[in-house]
Amino acid sequence: MTTSSTAGPVSITLLSSLAEPSLHHTWLTAAHPTQPLVATCSSDKCVRVYSLKTSSHLSTINGGHKRSIRTCAWKPGLKGENVIATGSFDATVGIWRRWDNDLSLRRSDVKMSEEDFTGANGNGNTDEDDDDEWRFAIVLEGHESEVKSVSWSAGGNLLATCSRDKSVWIWEEMGDDDYETVAVLQEHEGDVKCVSWHPEELLLASSSYDDDIRLWREDVDDWGCVSILRGHESTVWAVEWEGVKSTAQGTSSTENPGIRLASCSDDQTIRIWRKIPKEKGPPQSKLSIIRSGSIEEEWVEDSQLPRAHVRSIYSIGWSKNTGRIVSTGGDGKIVVYIEDQGSWSVLAENDGAHGVSEINHVCWAHMGDNREVIVSTAEDGSVKVWAI
Amino acid sequence: SSTVPACAYSPDPFTSSTSSDEENSDDDDIVEPIDEQEIYDLIAPITDPEHPLTLGSLSVVNLPDIHLTPLFPPSSSSTSPPITVLTVYITPTITHCSLATVIGLGVRVRLEQALPSRFRVDVRIKEGTHSTAEQVNKQLGDKERVAAALENGTLMGVLRKMLKGCEGT
Repeated sequence: MTTSSTAGPVSITLLSSLAEPSLHHTWLTAAHPTQPLVATCSSDKCVRVYSLKTSSHLSTINGGHKRSIRTCAWKPGLKGENVIATGSFDATVGIWRRWDNDLSLRRSDVKMSEEDFTGANGNGNTDEDDDDEWRFAIVLEGHESEVKSVSWSAGGNLLATCSRDKSVWIWEEMGDDDYETVAVLQEHEGDVKCVSWHPEELLLASSSYDDDIRLWREDVDDWGCVSILRGHESTVWAVEWEGVKSTAQGTSSTENPGIRLASCSDDQTIRIWRKIPKEKGPPQSKLSIIRSGSIEEEWVEDSQLPRAHVRSIYSIGWSKNTGRIVSTGGDGKIVVYIEDQGSWSVLAENDGAHGVSEINHVCWAHMGDNREVIVSTAEDGSVKVWAI
Repeated sequence: SSTVPACAYSPDPFTSSTSSDEENSDDDDIVEPIDEQEIYDLIAPITDPEHPLTLGSLSVVNLPDIHLTPLFPPSSSSTSPPITVLTVYITPTITHCSLATVIGLGVRVRLEQALPSRFRVDVRIKEGTHSTAEQVNKQLGDKERVAAALENGTLMGVLRKMLKGCEGT
C-alpha cells in the first residue's frame, strides 16, 4: 500500500461534509476506536455524534457543561455501550454513556457492502428520539481552570486530563462510574494543551504552553516524570503516539527500534521523538529503594517533518494502519507525510481545505470497511471527511 | 449576551452563523481590499481600560504599526485561499503596564469581530516598549486562551466597556 515514491501528485479528496454541523467555533472530532462514528465538540456546549457512512448526525450530548466543550474521547474496549469523556472550559470533565444497540450502525452493518447506505434507515425520524439517550454518568471535578484535553488509556481504566491550571490528572475507574484520582502531576510551567496515552504501555505524554513535552509512568505506586522532551520553540499543541506494529504479522521489530512520539507546535514544526532502548531489559524497580533517577528514560529528537505550514500547527494524526502522519493548523492546510527508510516527505497537501477557516483538528478514522479516512474540524464549525 | 456589542459591519468569526460552507466561501471569495487606514479606524476609538481616552489619542495604536501581508505568496497554487495576515504592534503607555494584555485582547477581539474570517489577526507589543512583551505576545497569540477569555464574564465586561466607543463605526 505504502509505495515509497509516488510518481504523480497524490491528492486529498473530499468525500463528504458532516451534516448538520455546529454553527459555532468547533474544536475537535474524536474517532470511535472501532466503529465508523465520530464525536465533534463545540463552543455551543454540545458534542454531536455522526455516522461516517451516511455523514449524518445521530445523537447529541448536551446540557452538562456551562462553557465550551474543548475536547472529547471515546472509551476503548467496550461492547454494547459507548462511553465518551468530555472536557470543558468550565474546568470539569463529564463521563457520558449510551447503549450501542440503537445506533443506526451496528456491528452487522459494518460488514455490509460499501454501496449499501440503507444502514441508517429512518435516520430522519430517529434523530430526535436519540437526542436524550446519552446519559450523564459522572462529573470529575478537580481542575481549577479550562480542561484542554482528555485521553483514555488503552485498557480504558485510566483517564488522563489536563488544564490551563498547569496540571495533569490521572483518574482510575474503580467501579461503575466511580473514579478515583490516582495522580496530580504539576511539573509543567504553563497550560497543558494535550495528553495522550501510549497505545500499549502505561506511558502518558503531555505537551504544554511551556514548550515542553513530558512523559509519565507509574513507579511503584507513584506517577512520575520519566523524561522531558525539549526542542520546540513555542507552545506544543498536540502529541500523538506511533501505532504499535504487530509482530505477529512477520514484520521485523528491528525496523523501528524504540517507541516514537510525534508533536506539533506553534513554532510550525512537527517533530518525531524516539526512546533510546536501555542496554539491559526494562528496569524492574519494584524492589529498588533508590528511586531518584531509576525511572528516567533517554529520549531523542529523531527527525523533523518537512516544513509545510505557515501558521501554528494545531493537530496531528499518526495512522496506525499506514504510518502516515496528517497535520493541520492556522493556515487552513491539511498535509499528509509519508516515511521511507527513516526520512519523511510530503505525500499530499490541500490548501484551504475549509475555505479561509482555520482548522483546529485532524484525525484518522475508519469507515468500517478497512478504508481509512481523514476527518478535519474547522473553526467555522464544518467537519469534513477526506480520502487520500 | 456575553458578546461584545456588535459594532461590526461584517460577521463575527466567533458567533456568526453561516448557513453553509458554500455560502461562506462565496462571501469570502469576494476580496474587498481593506487597507491599513481602515484597520486603524477600527481600533483607534477603543478606550483605555483605565481612563476614557482612546488608544488612538494615547498613541497605543499607530498607523505605521499596522501591516497587511498575504499568508500564501501570490506564486503559490491557485487553490490557496486569499488569507491575509494582519499584524498590529501596540505601544503600551508605560513599559510595565499591567493592562497590556487586556488592551491587546481588546484590539484582537475588535478586529476579529469587524473583519471577514479571511484575516488572521496577530496583535503584538512593539519591540522595546514593554518589560514582559514576550509573555504578553504569547498569550495574545494563543487562540485557545483568547477563546476562553471571551467566555469569562468579568473580562468581557471590561472589554465591552473598552469597545463601547466603537459602536456605530
